[in-house]
Amino acid sequence: MTADPRALTELLEESQDLQADALRPTHEALGELVETAHAQREDDAAANLAFHETHTRGLTSSLAGTALLGAAGGAVLVGALASAAAASSSSDVQILQTAASLENLAVSTYKTALTLPYIGGSSANPVVTKFAQVTMGQHAQHAEAFNSAAKSLGGKAQTKPDAAFVPVVKKAVASLGSATPAQGALGVVALALELENIAAGTYVKDTVLAKKETNKALLASIMGIEAQHVSVLLAVQALLMAGAPQLISLSPGTAAMLPAAAGSVGFPNAFYKTNSAAPARQGAVK
Amino acid sequence: MSKNKTKKYEGSEHELRARTAELDELHHDVGMPAMAEALAGMRGTGRRTFLMGAGAAVAGGAALAVGTGAVPTLAAASTRRLSSVKASAFPPKGLKGDLAVAAVAASLENLAVFAYSAGLTAATQGKLGTVPPAVATFATTVKGQHQQHAAAWNAVLKSNGKAPVTVTNPTVTPTVQSDFAKVTDIAGLAQLAVTLETIAAQTYQAETSKLKSSAAIQLSSSIQPVEMQHTAILYYVLGMYPGAQTSSGTPLAFNPTSMAV
Repeated sequence: MTADPRALTELLEESQDLQADALRPTHEALGELVETAHAQREDDAAANLAFHETHTRGLTSSLAGTALLGAAGGAVLVGALASAAAASSSSDVQILQTAASLENLAVSTYKTALTLPYIGGSSANPVVTKFAQVTMGQHAQHAEAFNSAAKSLGGKAQTKPDAAFVPVVKKAVASLGSATPAQGALGVVALALELENIAAGTYVKDTVLAKKETNKALLASIMGIEAQHVSVLLAVQALLMAGAPQLISLSPGTAAMLPAAAGSVGFPNAFYKTNSAAPARQGAVK
Repeated sequence: MSKNKTKKYEGSEHELRARTAELDELHHDVGMPAMAEALAGMRGTGRRTFLMGAGAAVAGGAALAVGTGAVPTLAAASTRRLSSVKASAFPPKGLKGDLAVAAVAASLENLAVFAYSAGLTAATQGKLGTVPPAVATFATTVKGQHQQHAAAWNAVLKSNGKAPVTVTNPTVTPTVQSDFAKVTDIAGLAQLAVTLETIAAQTYQAETSKLKSSAAIQLSSSIQPVEMQHTAILYYVLGMYPGAQTSSGTPLAFNPTSMAV
């Protein structure tokens, strides 16, 4: 609550510069792939068929286990998405496009959240505001990196959010209109938490499915960042629900006042779960 | 342990330990309503209950040393090498490819277990000053997760007919031991923990794109984000931005691998 917003703003600006530098090696590595992209762009038919079959099963499984999509009518979506049978590009491109679609959705969600007075306005906790701003910026960078990788392999950039999740996010955002600031803040945190968890779980799962080393490396460099977002949101959620928003603070001495349970709420599992992961081709450009 | 005079939540340590055990054993997500109830219901966190938790944690750490001989805790051995294995001789001969990575991973997890155990011991002995309840819970819970990670990698080795790795990583151990000897308070211990967690997370990240077997990639990928979650909470405890960052504290959108071993 007492963190210096100016310092955080400076950090954010500095971060953007550094990220451009940090991305350079990634772009260079991706550039190396271009030479071989033509030869590898289209996987053989058997590989594509296997990928499709695996992810049709994965899609069904994911829809059954995801609360968001369950609310949206999982059975209908299973039919609609599973009917997109033929893979139009390589499995790695589809993985990267799906990842970009999740990042696009996260960006738009944080952007909307920041228009709410209790997230981005004067009544908001400055730590929450800056977290939302920094996190939104990071998701934008992730989307750019995934799209760069997809394009390097001959695919199209995915500029839209994951269509399967959009209706539910819209519904959740609409419900915030009638909420009190306290309820609204909790609603935003819950929504962001679910999106971050889907993204992290998806990338964890996709590090196994991706074929190119550079794509595995890109996914691996981002999955932990999303998991950290999850941790922060879990801690914020717990403190809000406990009626202790004053402890959402980076000021010295806060640690001494935190309840004991705050020390473990941010990492509920020793191994990151992937049961909420989006199917690898769900957000692919059709 | 706590001599802290500042206002904090105080409550049932029994209730919280039960919750921690639940998290460790069942790997279930924490239900937020239940969490709120636990927070609201906390009463009577005190020195004695914390020490009991720390003692149990140390006992758990000692169990990992079985098979390595008399391996001392870091706190008791700040002038001795915890790992008697030379870095040049590790991973052991006969372990190649994914199995060599498994050995390195297990050794890093062992080091983390011993570091947290040693930290809890030092805290119990009053060497680190006031210990916030959240930090005690953090150390105990994280130590348990690292034990599970080590066990998972050793299970991989065992399933391939190899002996489990029970030593700490010989490359990193001397530095950690030296740094630990300089720790005088909880902030110093948290900084050391950040380093350890960062090394582990970055090592897993670097190996994710190099491992060959799907099972090994899956295991590595499922652990890396958890180590980074540990780091996020450590940063929060330290009053720093709670995410991957540069040495100057600038948040990073992409986790680097410069500290991987």
